[in-house]
Amino acid sequence: MSAVDPLVEVEHLSRHYRVGRHHVHKAVDDVSLTIARGETFGLVGESGSGKSTLSRLVLGLDTPTSGRVRVAGRDLAELDGRELRRQRRQMQIVLQDPVAALNRRKTIEQIVGLPLAVHERMPRSARAERVRELLALVGLPSAFAQRYPHELSGGQCQRVGIARAIALEPELIVLDEAVSAVDVSIQAQILNLLRDLQGRLGLTYLFVSHNLAVVRYMSDVVAVMQRGRIVETGSRERLFTAPEHPYTRELLAAVPEPLPHAREIEGAR
Amino acid sequence: MSATVATGPALETAAAGRVGIVRRLSRRPAAVVSAVTIAVLLLLSLLATPIAGSPTAIDTREILASPSGAHWLGTDDLGRDVLARTLAGGRLTLLVAFGAMAVSMAVGTLWGFVAAAAGRAVGEGLMRAADACLAIPPILLALILVAAFGASSWTLALISGLLLAPQTARIARSALLTELRSDYRLAARAVGVSPLRTVFGELLPNASPALIAQASLTVAWAIGIEASLSFLGLGVQPPEASWGTLLQEGYAGLYRSVWLTVVPGVAIFVAILAFNTFGSQLQQALDPRQEER
Repeated sequence: MSAVDPLVEVEHLSRHYRVGRHHVHKAVDDVSLTIARGETFGLVGESGSGKSTLSRLVLGLDTPTSGRVRVAGRDLAELDGRELRRQRRQMQIVLQDPVAALNRRKTIEQIVGLPLAVHERMPRSARAERVRELLALVGLPSAFAQRYPHELSGGQCQRVGIARAIALEPELIVLDEAVSAVDVSIQAQILNLLRDLQGRLGLTYLFVSHNLAVVRYMSDVVAVMQRGRIVETGSRERLFTAPEHPYTRELLAAVPEPLPHAREIEGAR
Repeated sequence: MSATVATGPALETAAAGRVGIVRRLSRRPAAVVSAVTIAVLLLLSLLATPIAGSPTAIDTREILASPSGAHWLGTDDLGRDVLARTLAGGRLTLLVAFGAMAVSMAVGTLWGFVAAAAGRAVGEGLMRAADACLAIPPILLALILVAAFGASSWTLALISGLLLAPQTARIARSALLTELRSDYRLAARAVGVSPLRTVFGELLPNASPALIAQASLTVAWAIGIEASLSFLGLGVQPPEASWGTLLQEGYAGLYRSVWLTVVPGVAIFVAILAFNTFGSQLQQALDPRQEER
């Protein structure tokens, strides 16, 4: 793990929820991690392990109970609302449900153009032009600009979500189960698109998923989460070939033998 | 529905979301009938005098006349044409009802939105306040408000609007809460959209159909309140004609000339039914789960 040029630094981060009067649910519990610029950091764990909460904390979409998050050297807790909104240029998210993530009463042009409208002063015609470029970048025809989300398939909606996330050329993109709700036949296409974009735009990914094969395909570094804690972190090769923590071994053993898709995809690379 | 749209040729750019709702409504007979009825009522009220003549013209030879060629619905005890008075009365009643609707939507939407967006304590407080308002019998509350503000068409609109505001507040709150929990709202936050712009630019367009449906229901209730209060002499004051005052005037001679009460009564009935039906049809058309049944 090369911590030479860290983009994201998470230190002793916790997010606790009070449940009832006496019980405290520790969604994220004393998590520390570092994501280097340009790498893909895979975060894997079963549902309810706190992956999504952690990813929202990293983006400042939720407030931690304790601990700190630094993105590009800036402590998110020290930013006020306005500064945080400006900071969002640097960090974006792609959500799990591709259709629900898009405002159903807006055209694709309005949706993809929203970050530009918020952060960039540019004339409407220039924005429309940029939206078409972005659509081309994610492999959608420019005619889609005038359509509404319900006219698109799930995979196409996810491409729109990705176009919105890269609109401001951020450094960090959190992919929160970004392909989990997409048809399996489309998943590989979306994953390849994400890798392609990473190369072109120099993106850093926090790739959150419960799907080990997909995490293995995408990630440079992988962290395993269980009940709010990171139990093991390591390079992809090390973690998948020589898991140290019993929970990691358990997870790997639970996958139907022997990750045929991951092998195929990796072999093709 | 969306499948046929997706495979079809490029759509017109005009808001497809809204077109979808209009199309869904047009497939519901009750919605079409109530919409047409509302349109006819509005048109008749607007054109009351050109159609039926002056509501205050007195024909001394025709007092309490039965329906005839000259007076389609007869005349009242001063020889005034009942049709002319009913149409003119409808104009005032609908004006008061729409005024009440405007007040109710303005106050109630703000009320509900603040309750939805504010913290738990403030939100709960505002909603319990709405519950408390709804627990008071409306006519009793209206009596107090009329005593405070006096009786006229304008105060009637204001009072009815305030009476109906808590109901609107509830609808507005639940509509906004649904949108606040949505993924696209999270996406808007992640993009860095300011809270105000999120509410008005992103969430309101999605919440507005529910509010429009509520507006239609509010008009129906306001017509009922206008009629009740004017009938009790607490609303529109004679010689101005509204459906409520016409009902009251006719009530005095109920056993001699029954059409004097029947005509405004039927008008009130039809108007309330039309606005109620349209509002609930719109609500149902907006709810895809109900649509499938």
